[in-house]
Amino acid sequence: MAAMKFTVLGLLFAAALTAQPTATTADWPSYGGTHAAWRYSALDQINASNVAKLAPVWAFQTGDYENGLQSTPIVVDGVLYLVSARSQVFALDAASGRRIWEYHYALPRTPGTNTQNRGLAVGAGKVFLGTYDDYMIALDAKTGAEVWKVAVDDQRQCGCAITGAPLFVKDKVVVGSTGGDGAFRGYLTAFNAETGRLAWRFYTVAGPGEKGHETWKGDSWKYGGGATWMTGSFDPALNLIYWGTGNAASDLYSGDRYASDALNGVKPGGVNLYTASVIALDADSGKLRWHYQEIPKDVWDFDAAYECVLVDRMVDGKMRKLLVHVNKSGYTFVLDRVTGEYIGAFPIVENHNWTSGVTKDGKFLDIVEPVEDKPTLICPGPAGGKSWNQMAFSPRTGFIYAPVLEQCAQLQARRQEPSEGRVYLGGTWAETSPPGGVVHSHLDAYDPVTGKRAWTYPYKYVLFASLLATAGDLVFTGDPEGFFFALDARSGKKLWSFQTGAGHRGSSVTYSVNGRQYIATPTGWGSIAGRALLNTWPEAEAFRSGSTLMVFALPEAK
Amino acid sequence: MKLLTSLLLIASAAFAQDLVARGADVYVKSCATGYCHGLKGSGGGAPRLASRGFDEAFITRTVRSGITGTAMPAFGTTLARLDLAAVIAYVGSLNGIAPNPALAAMLRGPPARTLPPEAARGRALFYEASRGFARCATCHLVDGMGIAVTDAITKVPANAAELRGVSATHVATATAGGEAFPALVLSKGVTQVKVYDLTIAPPVLRVFPAASVTIQEGSAWKHASATQSYTDAELDAIVAFLKAVVQ
Ligand code: HEC
Repeated sequence: MAAMKFTVLGLLFAAALTAQPTATTADWPSYGGTHAAWRYSALDQINASNVAKLAPVWAFQTGDYENGLQSTPIVVDGVLYLVSARSQVFALDAASGRRIWEYHYALPRTPGTNTQNRGLAVGAGKVFLGTYDDYMIALDAKTGAEVWKVAVDDQRQCGCAITGAPLFVKDKVVVGSTGGDGAFRGYLTAFNAETGRLAWRFYTVAGPGEKGHETWKGDSWKYGGGATWMTGSFDPALNLIYWGTGNAASDLYSGDRYASDALNGVKPGGVNLYTASVIALDADSGKLRWHYQEIPKDVWDFDAAYECVLVDRMVDGKMRKLLVHVNKSGYTFVLDRVTGEYIGAFPIVENHNWTSGVTKDGKFLDIVEPVEDKPTLICPGPAGGKSWNQMAFSPRTGFIYAPVLEQCAQLQARRQEPSEGRVYLGGTWAETSPPGGVVHSHLDAYDPVTGKRAWTYPYKYVLFASLLATAGDLVFTGDPEGFFFALDARSGKKLWSFQTGAGHRGSSVTYSVNGRQYIATPTGWGSIAGRALLNTWPEAEAFRSGSTLMVFALPEAK
Repeated sequence: MKLLTSLLLIASAAFAQDLVARGADVYVKSCATGYCHGLKGSGGGAPRLASRGFDEAFITRTVRSGITGTAMPAFGTTLARLDLAAVIAYVGSLNGIAPNPALAAMLRGPPARTLPPEAARGRALFYEASRGFARCATCHLVDGMGIAVTDAITKVPANAAELRGVSATHVATATAGGEAFPALVLSKGVTQVKVYDLTIAPPVLRVFPAASVTIQEGSAWKHASATQSYTDAELDAIVAFLKAVVQ
């Protein structure tokens, strides 16, 4: 009996240890807020009733103004860690903005590098930085001194770059990279957080002897794409890391990579594995547990590299552990995150013509592919029905909030010889407006299971900043004109707005220090995709770049 | 020989047309995506190139050297010379200028290096990405690529056997936190010790407070452990490559 009690207690304890933190509280510990990637905070001091009084309390200028500021700040125990586009790291007092230390990485200045950095990971007393030239670096969180540094790849060879935030999981740090629009074979790499030693690597393009290799024609796997350029999630109870993988390469032309169904007995739904998929890896070994390919044969540069939002919801009367995932195709996928089973998919864009719809078991119908002899109008275009800027989920409203982009492109495929690390698009495209309209955005609230849209906030230009949801029933984001604003999470009504002086391309967060809630937002436009889409508007030239973190709070009671 | 003929022909009008046509082709592959300059220089994520009043010197300089601090790469090192001239001619044509015979001057530079077949095969093997971290380039910077964990290679081994047996005299044994590991010492200061931890590839540059680490000469680390993914024949090809490029 005593032993029994002990076991039950032990189990309870183990369950408590592995319970998934979903909402953030005082800290903003990781890229997606928590490893469930909700970008949702339980803080509610700032709420729908008082947000009108929100005012700036401090600002920090990074001094690194070339490419805007796309990062997500991390906050742990009152210290805010920020990385700028050229991999400069700052530790700031989260209440005052006082600089505690800074680390200047000596990024080589070479032409042709559109440097970006979307965030850090913090854990085990260290700050983890992925650099544009493919190094992983661990800094002492207290001093900013280098603890270890390791080359993940050589940019001169792979043409790849680390721009996404690493993910700190248990005793490891996991990192992906860009490169999938070039002749490159994608991977995820995990390093021991203490020593920097390699823990595991998973290639997103199955190599010889691996399951899925038969879905590649000839040697095409060597340059098959599948870049892991954004940040994944983690479920501690299942010990699974989830990550989205990018398009197959060459992007638009599949003739050299598509092993036909007839040749290899490949089932539809498994083409060029594991590109344009969600993969679930064992966190300790990096072994593949399951995968779900969202865009088989991806010939549109639709990717599937974005955030994996982990929610538990009722589906047909049963509580299910789900993974909600949107890709550039404009469809949001809902998967069972235990097994990878397809549960549903719904479009969030209004302009989608690449398929007429999706069947109950996840097959896309009447697919329109780019061809070689003439341009084909395809919606959404490669800029995506949603860009990389992240969605948010609020358990109070039960909605996911997604920044959506309405745009199309004229795609034309073109056979291309690969040259390692060089652009390998297999075609070209020109951005265009959707038929009968102009490029524009909207921010929507959806029920993640039914796909029913609860409200929409329309916007004239493009919304390229991430969303932040809070228990104050607010949704925050910013626009390229420089406005940072809050919407009512239930109705989408605008409640507050502030002109920050530079366009928004980053991810805002919230945290509290000594009982006071703060909202921090990176500012600074500077975006290739943004520029391409804004060609329609001459006034877009005026959207300001910069690199400043703006922090807001309610005025303190006198 | 072929290139020389091309150079002579470049002045002729027919060739100018061919050059622009070739340039249009190079342009579509390398410059035209929606992220960059758009079809026919119409603009995209990067500026419009058509009808900008550019002159050939400006186009040549920008295409060859790129623009630091922006996404504009330096194509001078990545495009074959004829393709480079062709794409310059094409962008010129978008700005109403006919290819200038002086473009030919640009094409004359030192001839592109060609490696003998065995060395070329060795080159591919040295950097071969499908080997993951089990490739030479994980630890050696040669010919402008690879990670410089060791000093530049100066002595080229005679053959595969010698390459596997390269002596590891500089590899020491570091002890930190109760664990001993093979280490290449980079610096040993009063306050800090920097080493490459060679426990597993890729080597990790680790920084220790001087008091927390001890370094002893010699280690059990063998270069053979770093060359395992290659067959003897492959290593012989790599030796041929090193002989061709190491001074
Ligand atoms: C895991 C790292 C690693 C890998 C991979 C590796 N080496 Fe080395 N190599 C070393 C180290 C360390 C030394 C220096 C040992 C010393 O000086 O004590 C070395 C030394 C050498 C030397 C002697 C250089 C000189 O000037 O004396 C040559 C030549 C060499 N390596 C070639 C190769 C080749 C070719 C490959 C691939 C087949 C390769 N190495 C793979 C780590 C590595």
